[in-house]
Amino acid sequence: MKTAAPPTRSSLKTDQLFVNLGPQHPSTHGVLRVGLTIEGEVIVKAEPDIGFLHRGVEKLAEIRTYAQEVVLSDRLDYCSAMTNNLAYCLAVERLIGAQAPPRADALRVIHCELNRIASHLILLGTYGIDIGAFTPFLHAFREREMVLDLFEMSSGARLTYNYIRIGGVMRDASADWAAKAREFLAYFKPRLDDYDELLSYNPIFLDRTKGVGVIPAKKAVSWGLSGPNLRASGVAYDVRKCEPHCGYEKYPFKIVLGHAGDCFDRYHCRVREMREAVKIISAALDGLPEGEVLAKVPKVLKPAPGEAYAHVEGSRGDLGVYVVSDGTASPYRLHVRAPSFVNLAILQELFVGQRIADAIAILGSLDIVLGEVDR
Amino acid sequence: MSVEEVLARLFSQFPKADKAAAAVRDYPTVQLKEPSDLVPAVQLLKEEFGFAYLDMVTAVDWKGPVDMRGYLQEPNPNIFRPSGAPPRESAKPAPGLARDAMTVVYALSSLSEGLKIFLKIDVPREGAKLPSLTGLFNSADWQEREAFDLLGISFEGHPNLKKILTPDFLEGHPLRKDYVHVKDRFDVSNPPDDVGSIRPNLRRLGDLDA
Repeated sequence: MKTAAPPTRSSLKTDQLFVNLGPQHPSTHGVLRVGLTIEGEVIVKAEPDIGFLHRGVEKLAEIRTYAQEVVLSDRLDYCSAMTNNLAYCLAVERLIGAQAPPRADALRVIHCELNRIASHLILLGTYGIDIGAFTPFLHAFREREMVLDLFEMSSGARLTYNYIRIGGVMRDASADWAAKAREFLAYFKPRLDDYDELLSYNPIFLDRTKGVGVIPAKKAVSWGLSGPNLRASGVAYDVRKCEPHCGYEKYPFKIVLGHAGDCFDRYHCRVREMREAVKIISAALDGLPEGEVLAKVPKVLKPAPGEAYAHVEGSRGDLGVYVVSDGTASPYRLHVRAPSFVNLAILQELFVGQRIADAIAILGSLDIVLGEVDR
Repeated sequence: MSVEEVLARLFSQFPKADKAAAAVRDYPTVQLKEPSDLVPAVQLLKEEFGFAYLDMVTAVDWKGPVDMRGYLQEPNPNIFRPSGAPPRESAKPAPGLARDAMTVVYALSSLSEGLKIFLKIDVPREGAKLPSLTGLFNSADWQEREAFDLLGISFEGHPNLKKILTPDFLEGHPLRKDYVHVKDRFDVSNPPDDVGSIRPNLRRLGDLDA
């Protein structure tokens, strides 16, 4: 019997296929479109397409007063609005030469670190879902809800707080609030071990994330990555340590580092960062000074012409605000150096050569918020 | 390595560079005069002083107060003013600021030393262009595209210089002070007369309901 020779690789005709990921894809966490060109299962070209959420915050700022901008900054990274408020307020405070009172600084640190926990919990939950683990999501959001309850008590809002104001914070936290915060920390600390058991050391999860989407340190620096994405590659850069603001130098915490720079390290850096955040909050609650929470700052600011830049360690990385004043009541120019925007740019290089099944795992591990990418 | 050493070296190598008159508060700020100095100066900072991290690329348009016609809605954003109230006058900026130029601002960091330095360079508003830094930093890629999109500065040598944040049909560069919004079919409050392009879609949805 005569059989045909099996097809060799060279005789097979392969074709490139264009796959459209997004903009309404559940794992893009917002509206991100990525045009993928694939050959078989391997991605050969990736073109991120952003701007669907562009609201022109920098343009809007030019006709609003300085105080009104705090509200706009909430809408940038809506998963971590406290740190946005803080970056903007620090920039304006630097511009006018104001200094928040010590109690306000401590409250800012407590709220920002609580927000870091809430934000990293979103990653923990949704990253699990991206990979196919549903249960951790329910755990993460249960705890996140408690943080939001605390924020509701202090600021009245659950997502866009407008709590940190130019010169301090909106209002004081009561002793009752501090007790509730301590209660939360006591409850939350053992939960972190649960997450590790549920997700971090789950063999399926490890298979999907270990060694996937590796970013070497040099590449991470060149692409301007910041936050846990940079630290997962082993670069010890944390704004809280190298340019401490709000008295971060007083609190005991260490920079959490990864070494491989893969998806797992990026994920696990965040989980371990939550432990550090718990330490910072406990220390800040213990040493909470008495006093005013808002410096005497005029309601309508007219800073002398000049410019200032302030940056903080946001939940997603190095969040910078550059503000230029021309002596009027509105900023002449406001620019936000959004960590998600800069972090996302690496996608076009990181996706190439990866399997399409890993694309979602890689995208999820970068932990972007599209509100901040598009601004 | 201190900031003074870096600045001294920079000024000796580029005699036209100087400390910027309008410095970014609390940070060393260098004003470069020649666009051709930009790449060598950044290269010097990167290779000799370890400023391997490009933080930020942005620009400021010094044309003067922002044109209220650049906004989508009625120029008066204050909801507490009655509708139909005369649009708010642009506040007068401090004298001496307005000029026919844009300033491009770069922030560079040395992660190991924890230093940050700002570089500024002026470009004319018409035909604004500068050499691209994409050859030195990958992070310049999107940030330069953003400055191109929103402020209309072309970066020569950028491999993929195209719009990034604004939609394709948007004309002009919104962060330029003289930007005027052109009505398009997405203006909900005040649509242009010709909305034919979205009507057919609406009708089709209606048919499905029936």
